[in-house]
Amino acid sequence: MAHAGALLFAVLLLYPFSGVWAPVGAWQWRGTAGAASRASILVSLELTALAMLLVVAVGTPVALYIRRTGRAARTWWEAALLASILVPSLALGILLSLAFRPEGALGGWLAQLGLVSTNSAAAFVLTQVYVSIGYYVLGALVALGAIPAGLEQHAALLGLGPVRVFWRVTLPLARFGLAAALSLAWVRAIGEFGAVVVTAYYPAGMPVQLWIHLESAGLGAVMPLLVAFMAAALPLPLLLHLLAHRRRHA
Amino acid sequence: MLEVRLSQPRRGFRVEVEFTLEEGGALALFGPSGAGKSTVLACIAGFQQPAAGVIRLGGRQFFPPPLPLHRRGVGMLTQEPALFPHCTVEGNVAFGLPRPHSVEARAWLARLREQMHLGDCWHAPATRISAGQARRVALARMLAPRPALVLLDEPFGGLDRGLVRGLLEDFLTWRRELGFTLIAVDHQAEVLEQLCPRVLAMAAGRVVASGSWAELRQRAPQAMAALLAPL
Repeated sequence: MAHAGALLFAVLLLYPFSGVWAPVGAWQWRGTAGAASRASILVSLELTALAMLLVVAVGTPVALYIRRTGRAARTWWEAALLASILVPSLALGILLSLAFRPEGALGGWLAQLGLVSTNSAAAFVLTQVYVSIGYYVLGALVALGAIPAGLEQHAALLGLGPVRVFWRVTLPLARFGLAAALSLAWVRAIGEFGAVVVTAYYPAGMPVQLWIHLESAGLGAVMPLLVAFMAAALPLPLLLHLLAHRRRHA
Repeated sequence: MLEVRLSQPRRGFRVEVEFTLEEGGALALFGPSGAGKSTVLACIAGFQQPAAGVIRLGGRQFFPPPLPLHRRGVGMLTQEPALFPHCTVEGNVAFGLPRPHSVEARAWLARLREQMHLGDCWHAPATRISAGQARRVALARMLAPRPALVLLDEPFGGLDRGLVRGLLEDFLTWRRELGFTLIAVDHQAEVLEQLCPRVLAMAAGRVVASGSWAELRQRAPQAMAALLAPL
């Protein structure tokens, strides 16, 4: 009985994927709609990859720093990270637009550097970083916390400086956890709609382009892009989950 | 010369210790659990920063200001072997060598492998070896960079007497060859006596007696006498 219940749950959980075979007419991969779809795939993949580079470059040192702080400081850091995660997407988009407006301090400074803070690639990347970095840092903290106590100190006593300790001990031992954190950040960033539609309607990434197709071109244009969207979002986290699973049972 | 003068708060009391140790000398820290012995070792190793005091080894000032751990030239063995699980036994032993593939380093590693009886498990993952082998690997790894000062924090705990005897013999052989300064902490007086002729007895963070083991047996406070008595 329990087995059948669990099976029913799994079927219902995966049932939405059957929508791919829904009778929506011919899929449009050519013409104007197709060109826009292909452009949006490139925008999403390129700019999300750039955003992830920034997330890792900034988030990893931040996680390493937070790990070394005391309990009280860590609580505040985690609250700040959770706040960035929990704020509704649309609200975050509006807040980002207002905070980085060209007349503001940071927005003006970015504009002087040639980085337009709305409807630009910079705005797109900035928004993705904001929506995903909290996931990465919190995941990285869990991964770093799983490193057995004292190993990094022993490595340091053996004569390795902090950078070499990171590359030879911290990273090898936390790599699957960090990769899992990155995959979460990737999914969050590439799938972001609410905030991006406010800050970077152009250049349109896949979520915004899907919405445009839904509004103007119909499901025939939506479906191929939807499949590409899922193909871009799902394989990385699934692969990492399987790798981590194999490692745990090796 | 190792000079240690430190003050470090702990729950309920303050560890206040002062001693010197000549280069190549050996000193045992002995006392009941919670006396602050491991705190002293942690401060010397750099795992903890003392609230006040001075720690100096030869020309190197460990504190203040705190010297980074990797510049201290200190080797440490604890009850947990703390092997790097992503490395093989060979990788662990060679971990602290700056150029492990040089001719000299390879010859040195080969000596450590043979004398520490690690030939059978040399290429095995560190996670797949026995507890006794793990202690040997930890000892070899600690000795490989030829530390000037070695700190032992109960590294023989939880092992059967045969293993302890073998490890002690190996350790003393290496100490004679490498001539490092030694500070050892252990609950077993008979282990410490073999390692260090001089002892500092501690209780509640303070030094309550010091000297040779014979002197300690004569002058030790009653609580310490119980620790010194054979089982």
